[in-house]
Amino acid sequence: MSGFFRRIYDWLLRMFWATEMDVTMIGLQNAGKTSLLRVLAGGEFTYDSIPTVGFNMKRVQKGHVTLKCWDLGGQPRFRSMWERYCRGVSAIVFIVDSADTSSLPIAKDELHSLLQKPMLNGIPLLVLGNKSDLPDKISVDELIEAMDLKDITNREVSCYAISAKEETNLDAVLQWLIGRAKK
Amino acid sequence: MRYSKKDEDADQAIFKVDRTSVFQEARLFNTSPISPRRCRILLTKITYLLHTGERFPTSEATSLFFGITKLFQHRDAALRQMVYLVIKELADTAEDVIMVTSSVMKDVAGSGGRGAGEQEVYRANAIRALCRIIDGTTVQAIERLLKTAIVDKTPSVSSAALVSSYHLLPTARDVVRRWANETQEAVLSGSKSSAFSLGFGSSSSTPQGSGMTQYHAIGLLYQMRAHDRMALVKMVQQFSSGNVKNPAAVVMLVRLAAKLADEDPGLRKPMYTLLDGWLRHKAEMVNFEAAKAICELRDVTDAEVAPAIHALQLYLTSPRAVAKFTAIRILHNFASIRPAAVNVCNIDIETLISNTNRSIATFAITTLLKTGNEGSVDRLMGKTSAIMADITDEFKITIVEAIRTLCLKFPSKQAGMLSFLSGILRDEGGYEFKRAVVESMFDLIKFVPESKEEALAHLCEFIEDCEFTKLAVRILHLLGIEGPKTSQPTKYIRYIYNRVVLENAVVRAAAVTALAKFGVASKDGKIDPEVKKSVVVLLTRCLDDPDDEARDRAALNLRLIQEEEGGGVAERFIKNESTFSLPIFEHQLVMYVTGDQSTFDTPFDISSIPIVTRAEADAEDRSLKLRSTTMPTLRAPTTPGAPRPSASPSTAEAATSTAAAAQRYAQQLATVPELKPYGPLLKSSRDVELTEAETEYVVTAIKHIFKDHLVLQFNVKNTLTDTILEDVSMVATPADPEDEEQALGLEEDFIIPVPKLATQEVGTIYVSFKRTGEEPNYAITTFANVLKFTSKEIDPSTGEPEDQGFEDEYQVEDLELTGGDYVIPSFAGSFGNVWEQVGAAGSEVTETFSLGTGVKGIQEACEALAQSLSLQPLEGSDVVANTATHNLKLFGKTISGGRVVAQIKMAYSSKTGVALKITARAEEEGVAEMVVGSVA
Repeated sequence: MSGFFRRIYDWLLRMFWATEMDVTMIGLQNAGKTSLLRVLAGGEFTYDSIPTVGFNMKRVQKGHVTLKCWDLGGQPRFRSMWERYCRGVSAIVFIVDSADTSSLPIAKDELHSLLQKPMLNGIPLLVLGNKSDLPDKISVDELIEAMDLKDITNREVSCYAISAKEETNLDAVLQWLIGRAKK
Repeated sequence: MRYSKKDEDADQAIFKVDRTSVFQEARLFNTSPISPRRCRILLTKITYLLHTGERFPTSEATSLFFGITKLFQHRDAALRQMVYLVIKELADTAEDVIMVTSSVMKDVAGSGGRGAGEQEVYRANAIRALCRIIDGTTVQAIERLLKTAIVDKTPSVSSAALVSSYHLLPTARDVVRRWANETQEAVLSGSKSSAFSLGFGSSSSTPQGSGMTQYHAIGLLYQMRAHDRMALVKMVQQFSSGNVKNPAAVVMLVRLAAKLADEDPGLRKPMYTLLDGWLRHKAEMVNFEAAKAICELRDVTDAEVAPAIHALQLYLTSPRAVAKFTAIRILHNFASIRPAAVNVCNIDIETLISNTNRSIATFAITTLLKTGNEGSVDRLMGKTSAIMADITDEFKITIVEAIRTLCLKFPSKQAGMLSFLSGILRDEGGYEFKRAVVESMFDLIKFVPESKEEALAHLCEFIEDCEFTKLAVRILHLLGIEGPKTSQPTKYIRYIYNRVVLENAVVRAAAVTALAKFGVASKDGKIDPEVKKSVVVLLTRCLDDPDDEARDRAALNLRLIQEEEGGGVAERFIKNESTFSLPIFEHQLVMYVTGDQSTFDTPFDISSIPIVTRAEADAEDRSLKLRSTTMPTLRAPTTPGAPRPSASPSTAEAATSTAAAAQRYAQQLATVPELKPYGPLLKSSRDVELTEAETEYVVTAIKHIFKDHLVLQFNVKNTLTDTILEDVSMVATPADPEDEEQALGLEEDFIIPVPKLATQEVGTIYVSFKRTGEEPNYAITTFANVLKFTSKEIDPSTGEPEDQGFEDEYQVEDLELTGGDYVIPSFAGSFGNVWEQVGAAGSEVTETFSLGTGVKGIQEACEALAQSLSLQPLEGSDVVANTATHNLKLFGKTISGGRVVAQIKMAYSSKTGVALKITARAEEEGVAEMVVGSVA
């Protein structure tokens, strides 16, 4: 019986207040996806996280919006599987290590080849230049240039510089994501 | 209301699910928000499909799998458990299953916090799924997780981790072996938790106290240490001291102890002490396992087995049927090997005959039949026939098989058994049962000649009213073969002709063929014209048969019979007494079809297959039957993972392999041009090792006997890594005969050396001798063998051998040429007959020997003697019934065809070992001495 009421309560909650949305976080290995997600979910930043094998799933509550974040592994063996988790999501978050310029060309290729997939047409994209606290990072404009973001048409594209460690600009990220939820 | 209705729908759906619709429904996994209930039902359908044998193709499995990974967003414990179950099942078919690793690891770690209580529920499932999706390279990443899980205080988690490690062991041996300490700890803590919950009952905080973790932990420890015997011994001894509570775990220890005792004679004593202690363990299953292990110990002595038999005897009177059954089954198995030791239980077993549980009753009877001595057989037969009426066919078959073995063991009791068999043949019964009975009678006819006429009469009577065409045909065939050889062949003709009149077409055709055999049968060299005339008359009548086949057979046979004066056509076609040697035939055919294309240019040459006489085929057949039937019919599974190496390959197996080996050698030798003129190969010995297996040069030798030559084949293997051998030859020098008068009769002919032998290569050297002595020349000697070669080291920088080598010699062990090398085992129906015949024609030699205490028991002596003399045991005398004395009857033929019979009387006592008196008779001069000589 209690289960029944619980169901009704959940249903009411979902119906009137809560909004759920799916967000996929991708990017090359060691870009800081898992760390960013941990910080977004209200956890502590850790220096020695292990590489993600496969994916992690975490819920981030912000107001009445629940973000279901799928944090995918960035190692080459998992990149072919990104597409599966990007289908039908509310937003794709692509995270770049802005202090590692050597990896930028690969990141650019991976991103563009992913966006070619017809299944992912129109899904908003957010590119984040992580590790902005490090001294040899590149600026947002340089990042947009390096990633060829101007070439991406037929979808909404934004680019922020953030730091998961220093928690800079994270609110902007959340705001942007929640902004995509009303659809 | 809606609730229950939905339930009904779901239930129905479970029973008519198909793959395509389930795959369509799987879109459900991608919806948001997730409904755990509906997803669970769908997952259940998938498991249902997988378990009913449906297989998803890889692409479907992969997309299902990825759909399922979406469900990780929901925290519902029951849903998560279901997810893990399906992931485990799909792990083998789907691609990229590694994708869920991180998520699963999170569950395994059990991070606590919100929902920690729920998480405990599916942690075990997560662990089990984890080990299925992980691959060898990523095991290290989960090492820490599993280590903690192994020592987890929740038994289900700990068990899951242990079992998963067990499965991971083959893929990542080194990693898993590092977890030994944790596993050890799991064994000990398993006992603590069980003791705790026993002591405090329900107040204990540990969820359960079965101690199953101990079982899993011991299993894993064993797998980790399987190659380290000392570690295993330590483990068994450590855990046997009472800190392992779980009975299943103790059973595992019992098996380990038994295995250790079997492998290392030095450990036998301590392990036996442990096993003996376990006979008094408080768990029944441990008692049984220990008793079984003791019974299966190799060469167990009566004193050792007595406590086990006693323990089992107590269970025979247990009120619980399952205990009785287990006890009687172990006794039954043991009775096949050592009937005498089970004798003590006979009184208890006899009361079980009338047990209402038919499995128990059947085992009881078959056990008694085995333990019974000649005297009690008749009485048992009486008891058996009393219950025969109310047991099912399967049990009847078991009993018939037991009786068949008994017939072969005690040929003198054949009369009673025959009447028993014919009695039950008249009873109601299905085909399988009747077939078992008829087969037993066939065996009697074949191997116990005295019973032939009576058994044939019973079979004739049986086919008068036989509803099984197949059996009737087989019996008619047998009548055709055996009938003409009896004293009154005409008697059978009437029965056979009755079939022609009364039966269906298939039986009629068989009967016609059988009749024809009587027509051409000759007795004492001449054909009875009366019989022939009546057969012709009967066959002529068969020409009017409505069935084509029967008519054709009649016509063909009539023609053959009437043309008989013209040659041996009838001999060959109607009275075919020989058959192809099937193992060789098979081997040749396999060689033919697996050869390359060019072999098909020439048709298969059937004339290259040796033809064996019926007697020889029978010999093989019989030893096969004795072996297979002495094995218990309802065999208990042996210890998993540790098949007991059987003491010696069964003779039947050996016979087929010798035939095949001879064939192989013949082929091999045929490729050597120098050996061509020697004619066909008459006999090849088995491989004799002349060195230890781990010396620099490993040498084995085979002796080949040709008509006038002896060829020694030496297989030399060079095990040195950086040396090559060139010009390898073998100097084999026969020892000088003791008295100078007698020439040895061997002259060296030539040596075919091996030009070059690289590392790990095997080369073959042939040394040929001419057998010069007078006919029959059976030279017996010992060869001293010296390996001669030029050895060259390989330059490690170039990999080329150096130019300069040095000559070297290497002495290997001596090779003995004995009488057995000239003798081929062969079969004869009746030992008594041959014994008298050969005795009348040839010479006899008697001598006594003692084999010393090195030989353990008569059975081993029998096997060794039959092998070293190269003679065939007759009349089942290779199966030892009495451990104290035995009479072994052997028969064989020399390479030139002279018969050799030997009778060996043996006595065994534990102090002096086996003492034996051998009497050998042979048709040829000197052969008897030679045979006796080769015992020493």
